[in-house]
Amino acid sequence: MAATADTLTSKNLNDGSSSGMTGLPMVADASDLSLVRRVQRGERGAYDLLVLKYQHKVVKLVMRYLRNPADAEDVAQEAFVKAYRALPQFRGDSAFYTWLYRIAINTAKNALAARERNPVSYELDTHGNDDSSDMVGRLKDPETPEGLALTEEIRDTVNHAIGELPEDLRTAIVLRELEGMSYEEIAASMDCPVGTVRSRIFRAREAIDRRLREVFDGGLGRTEELV
Amino acid sequence: MIQEERESQLSAMFDGELPATECELLSRRIDRDENLRARWSRYALIGAAMRSEPVATARSGFARRVSAALRGGDTRVRASRGRKMMLNAAVSASLVVGVAGMSITLLRYTAAGGGAVASGQVAGGQVAGGQVGGGQVFSGEMDSAAAPSRAPGSGAVPGNTVARSTAAGSTAAISTMASDALARRASNGEPVSYVTPASVDTANTALRTELADFIVAHSQYSTPLMRRNMLSAFISSDAGSDFAPSRAAVTASPSASAAGALHATFAASAPGH
Repeated sequence: MAATADTLTSKNLNDGSSSGMTGLPMVADASDLSLVRRVQRGERGAYDLLVLKYQHKVVKLVMRYLRNPADAEDVAQEAFVKAYRALPQFRGDSAFYTWLYRIAINTAKNALAARERNPVSYELDTHGNDDSSDMVGRLKDPETPEGLALTEEIRDTVNHAIGELPEDLRTAIVLRELEGMSYEEIAASMDCPVGTVRSRIFRAREAIDRRLREVFDGGLGRTEELV
Repeated sequence: MIQEERESQLSAMFDGELPATECELLSRRIDRDENLRARWSRYALIGAAMRSEPVATARSGFARRVSAALRGGDTRVRASRGRKMMLNAAVSASLVVGVAGMSITLLRYTAAGGGAVASGQVAGGQVAGGQVGGGQVFSGEMDSAAAPSRAPGSGAVPGNTVARSTAAGSTAAISTMASDALARRASNGEPVSYVTPASVDTANTALRTELADFIVAHSQYSTPLMRRNMLSAFISSDAGSDFAPSRAAVTASPSASAAGALHATFAASAPGH
């Protein structure tokens, strides 16, 4: 089993391939669906969790169309608002992120078309950025050298932290995050109780998160930006 | 220890493995706890990094801004609902005022004695049947607790339309009877029945009608056209014109035909009067 975890880890963390929209495990879909159902019952806090969960991916996705990070965030925000309003019609036929992905793409395309129809405002927006805000945008844009460095650093940190994990923790987190197995399936696979799986995954995450926070606190000092 | 247990719950909730009841409690906690929110977001980042998914770090407070935008949207929804309610109230008020105005106008025709509509004496609870120039006779009773007496002959009209309504709904009943009568007369050209008209206190009716005209002419709820018509009618009445719809018509020809009364009415309503 440990060999399986190592294989999966090295394969997925080092090849740099982008799993994109379809990279989410099926179990993640189930947990999203649980949050979606709660939102549909009127719990807005559950939607907040979905936003926190997918903000990084949606911003990155929108950034393919709108190169300006500030614009991309605005459009991403608009996409989340649209998704929330359309959520009562979401039936769960597809994964939540697949659905959100389409909304984000359409919103980005519309924003791009609107910008092309109104080049004056685009020019004003472009020139309206002062040096400091532009620097902030460049730092967060993963296509800039700084952004690429940040993304790479996050990936390396996570990879390194996983490599340092005890084997049982590493196996549990890999089966969960990469294979998308449920706790019950992991428990069956690792021949341990479900509670133990839950504990192992939590401890694995804590160890990785600790390393991640060290990086942000010490190097970039932008931990708050992950909120 | 409690914090660690909470974070363990957070991890399980992130994977959709936390019981619903615990999810509900933890969700409320997350909403207040920035540490848990940040941790939740980083869990997502860790998973994305493990899967080599492209990510971009959003500015601080992105989720809060989305939440605020949603709250703003809800506020707008509430505001639009409020506007809709006000609009509905305004439409309802307009309908009430319109019906009231129509009923006053109908009463005015009745008082003129030439209308093809029912004669009504709401205050006395009495509705007198009126035969006007071979027109349709109606006998209706508008119930009044004060005076439930019935006009002689009113109940003896065969086949007539008797509308029982409260005073509040009397105007609608009158309108219904009027349209019904016109339709019936148009079908065969003959009235259903003839009755001897009951005696009507013409002076009292004329005074009431004039008062009604005055109210319509000066009410802020009347339409400008209606006010203008009424004021024109007053002027015509003062000048002794034949087009005066109320007292002048009554005094000049108490048994005027329905057609004549309607002509006078429409003439008074025409632009320029």
